[in-house]
Order: sequence, then structure tokens, then C-alpha cells
Amino acid sequence: MNFSVLIAKTYDDPTQSISWLVPKIGELIYGGIASLLVFFMLFKFGWPAAKKALETRTATIQKELDDSAAARRDAENDAANIRKALSNIDSDRAKMLAEADANVASMLSEGRTRIAAEVAELEARALAEIAASRARVGDELRAEIARYAAIATADAVRASLDNQTQQELVDSFIAKVGASR
Amino acid sequence: MSSQQVTAYVNAMFEIAAANGAVAIVEDEMFRLARAYESNEALRSSLSDSTLPTDRRQKIVEQLLAGKAHNVTVQLTSLLVGTGHVSLLPEVADALVKRASSEKQLEVAEVRSAVALNDAQKSRLAEALSKATGKKLNLKVVVDPNVIGGIVATVGDEVIDDSIRTRLDQVKSRF
Repeated sequence: MNFSVLIAKTYDDPTQSISWLVPKIGELIYGGIASLLVFFMLFKFGWPAAKKALETRTATIQKELDDSAAARRDAENDAANIRKALSNIDSDRAKMLAEADANVASMLSEGRTRIAAEVAELEARALAEIAASRARVGDELRAEIARYAAIATADAVRASLDNQTQQELVDSFIAKVGASR
Repeated sequence: MSSQQVTAYVNAMFEIAAANGAVAIVEDEMFRLARAYESNEALRSSLSDSTLPTDRRQKIVEQLLAGKAHNVTVQLTSLLVGTGHVSLLPEVADALVKRASSEKQLEVAEVRSAVALNDAQKSRLAEALSKATGKKLNLKVVVDPNVIGGIVATVGDEVIDDSIRTRLDQVKSRF
């Protein structure tokens, strides 16, 4: 059943009370005009406020979205920077380790060279001292042997010189001196 | 100071010996006594020992030389001991010999021999050294066992050495 049929049936029976759904025409006109006024007032005064509120809310949401995007970009930049810094740290660490290894290798090399030179110098000095000591001991031994040999020779000669030989030595001296001029 | 003391002693000794007419004997005995003093450690310590009383040391000298040396020699040696200058004995004796020799225009010839020389050897040696050096000599013979054999003669600055000791030293220096 359509709406026009329903209205027609209602007005056909005057005994019927006011329809719970279809008002009288006057009420409908007044009601319609009032409704239009209400709509007009709503359109005139409510809509701009609502529109402004919506625009404000939209702007707020957009701003929040923009801020979020900016924050995300910042975060991504920070993350990129951190990753880059991490990469730099790794690079620096590797560089420092390489430099430390190089320094250690250089120090070890220099140390080995210096120690080898010192050892060689000590060996040379020790050999020289040994040679000098050997020569000195040899000289002392020779001198000692010479001293004992001289003492032994003097004793042997003294024992072998009897009085006759002594007199012969004296006479020989006198003869040599006398014959010198 | 020592040189002045030696000169003073020598002058005094020479005058005393000359006054007694015993210069030759005294200087010869003093020379031999000086050599004995140099070579004999016991004699040197006894005569130099300041812990012994002076008269005791003088008594040692007198007992040692009694009947073996001229009285003037004994008295002069005793004088040195008494004045505490016995350590000057070698220098005094040598200077006295030199003084006595110079009075006779003689040069002192000190001869060191391992054995004693007899008079004939001394005479021949003096003649030979005089011939060799061209000087008149006052021969002083010292028996020195360190010579071992042969003779070392010193006339002034000239040394004539034909001793076994020197030959052994030459051999030793070649080692």
C-alpha cells in the first residue's frame, strides 16, 4: 500500500480519530513550514559551525597526520643516522684495530731489531773481554813462568859456580877491561 | 837538611881521621861498614831500633868492631848511632870516601863481586880500570852475592857490567 492510498483512506472516514501517522493538512503545512524554518536555521547557523568544526577537526587530524609523517621521517632519519653511525663505528673500530695491529707489529719488529743489536753488542763485548782476559792471563802466566825460570836459572847457575869458576870470571873481567883500551 | 847533615858529618869525620893520620883506613872501613849495614837487615834493625837505649846500641857497635876496625872508625860510627843518625851511615861513608879520594885526586871505583878478591886481583883490577877509564882510582870492593858471578864496576857515571846477574836479567827480559 502506497502513501497516497493511506491518506485517502484516512480522510474517507471522519469518525476516525487523528491518524497516528498522517496529520491534518494544516498541521502538515505548519509542520512543514516549521520544519523548513528549522532546517533553514540549522543550515544558516548550524551548518557553518558544524562545517567549521569538521574543517577544524580535519585540519587537526591532517596536522596530526603530517606531524606523524614528519615524526616518522625524523625517526627514519635518526635510524638512518644511527645505522650510519654504527657503520662508522664499525669502520673506525676496524681502522683502529688495524692501526693497533700495525703499531704492535712495528714495535715488535723494532724491539726484535734492538734486542738483536744489543745481544750482538753484548756478545762482541764479552768476546773482547774474554780475549783480553785470555791475553792478560797469558801475559801474567808468561811473566810468572819467566820469574820462576829466572829464579831457578839463577839458583842453578849459582850452584854450578865453584870457586875456581868465580876466580876465572873475575880474571876474565880484569882481562877484558884491561884490553878495552 | 839530610844533605847538610851528611856534609857536616863528613867534614868532621875527615878532620878527625886526618888528625889521627888514618884517613885511608877510616874511609875504607866506613865504606865496608856501610855496605854491611845496607845488606844486613838484622844489623840495620838493631842499630836503628829506637826502643833500645842509645848506649846499648853504641855498645853493639863497639863490640861488633872491637879489634876489627880502627878506633876512630868505631868512635865515629858510635857517634852516628848516639845522635840517632845511623840511617845516614851509607851516605856519610860514600861521601867520606869521595872526599878522601878527591884529596888524593883519585876517582872512586866501586867494584861489586860475588866473591872476595885477593890483593893481586885488586891490584890488577885497579890497573885495568885505570887504563880503561883514564883515571886514577880509589878501588872499593864490595862482596855482593846478588852479582852471582863476575864483576860490576862503577866509576863515576860509567858502569862496566860483566856479571852473571845482568846476563840472567837479559835472558829473563827476552821471555
